[in-house]
Amino acid sequence: MKTRAGLVAGGCLLMAYAVGGALTDADVAPGGVLLFLAAVLVGHDVVWMATVLAVGAALTRVPPRCRSTLRAAAITAAAVTVVGLPLALGFGRSADNASVLPLPYGRNLVAVLLAVAGTTLLACVVRRRATADRKESERPAEDRP
Amino acid sequence: MVRHPDTPVTGRAAVLRRLARWCLTPLPAPPVALRRGPLRPGRFRSRLRSTRLASQLGVALGVAFGICFATGLLSHLIQHPPGWFWWPARPVGLYRFTQGLHVATGLASVPLLGAKLWSVYPRLFSWPPARSIAHAAERASTGLLVAAALFLLVSGVLNISRWYAPMPFFFTAGHYWVAWLAVGGLLVHIGVHLPAVRAALARPMAPEPRQDGLDRRALLGGVAAASGLITLTTVGQTIRPLAGLAVLAPRHPDVGPQGLPVNRTAAGAGVRAAALDPAYRLWVTGPVRSVSLDLAALYRLPQYRADLPIACVEGWSAVGTWTGVRLGDLVALVGADPRRSTALVESLQVGGRYRACTVPPEYVGDPLTLVALRLGGEPLHIDHGYPARLIAPNRPGVLQTKWISRITVAGTP
Repeated sequence: MKTRAGLVAGGCLLMAYAVGGALTDADVAPGGVLLFLAAVLVGHDVVWMATVLAVGAALTRVPPRCRSTLRAAAITAAAVTVVGLPLALGFGRSADNASVLPLPYGRNLVAVLLAVAGTTLLACVVRRRATADRKESERPAEDRP
Repeated sequence: MVRHPDTPVTGRAAVLRRLARWCLTPLPAPPVALRRGPLRPGRFRSRLRSTRLASQLGVALGVAFGICFATGLLSHLIQHPPGWFWWPARPVGLYRFTQGLHVATGLASVPLLGAKLWSVYPRLFSWPPARSIAHAAERASTGLLVAAALFLLVSGVLNISRWYAPMPFFFTAGHYWVAWLAVGGLLVHIGVHLPAVRAALARPMAPEPRQDGLDRRALLGGVAAASGLITLTTVGQTIRPLAGLAVLAPRHPDVGPQGLPVNRTAAGAGVRAAALDPAYRLWVTGPVRSVSLDLAALYRLPQYRADLPIACVEGWSAVGTWTGVRLGDLVALVGADPRRSTALVESLQVGGRYRACTVPPEYVGDPLTLVALRLGGEPLHIDHGYPARLIAPNRPGVLQTKWISRITVAGTP
């Protein structure tokens, strides 16, 4: 109990330190930080999660043997897109600095997503064959030709 | 001895007890008619969500955020050192490692945070929304933690993509203070949920059945694969042998003038004309005398070579072969002892957060700390700091001042 009370008290102190520090730091625009905090929270909880749940629901319609692989692939594709999309959009490029965002990120992101899709397809085929082989071997010997 | 069960409590303890009772007093239940949409029971049907899954993801995320916080705080302290802080000049690549780890861990946390928030999403709609004042406060702190965690990862991704328009604040300061908020929220969260996490992480007696076509281990495997893929496609911006795989890295360690990336160009810093002025002179002011050196005079001083990385706060790094004058030699030239002197190195820039830096004695006296004139055997490209720049071991790139115009030495003869 003492550990938990210490963690809660320490955490409250750190949060108070963060708020106090942000309010007294001349480099921080508290309104801007608050706005961004609210925007990412609402954006995640309303827009992002609604999309994730819709995709998850759609994936329940695929055959069960592939569902697991497809869901893992969807997680990977979503995460890679979150990281790669700001690069692919290229708003950070600089006219006088070619070393900033020097790669063709749109093409690369598509290539990575295709690689994920290809691996997923391969895994589904392998799993399908393994299932078929298992069913074949489980059949009684007299049924076999 | 048996203690009396009704020992009277007075003073501070009584106040605290009354406060605790008030915080835990059940609040009146809201009208059931308000329980609509996702607030209705049974709206979230995936049986994959469990306390065990949320706990496992939480532990992994806690470790990742702990690494990010420690390395980020270290970077902040190196750039804004308080009196008690000391950062060594060796090992040469330590900052390169810690900041590369900071960014790589942050990127690898993206799928972890996504999965963790998915695993607890139905709790956002728990009913009643607040059972007591204490419950409401706990939920508010969890909301702050979630917002802070999202803030850190989203702003971090935007920063390495150099896309600042969506962030209505100065990234460095906002990221720093929200990191404290996230760590505070994390400690509160752990304190509140520790018993549940401990119970959930105790190994189950029976194997878990597959549910909804995806079991917990497969989900964790998917998250690990996503983290691994993100790392593999980005970490080459600092780990040179993996540069070929770094197709989503914001920088490539070989791309830039003289084969090295640049963060701020001469044009961007507004120093192009001053840097190319043939009348350029480097002023060195010390406790005994001052000297003014043109480029030819700098080249006549003993030249040394150092293979040192530029390690950016944005997580990329690349090694260059630098040649120039030892900062210690310039400090000695104005009558100070390099091992006991601090140097203020100023750029030709007239403004900007990073136009000057302070070099502490352990760096001034280090033989690898150079006022570099050449990179890869050629005069510095103007975007790398021509005519002269600071290059020192184990320092963030923002403290490797370019286009040096003045060095002011504070020290003893």
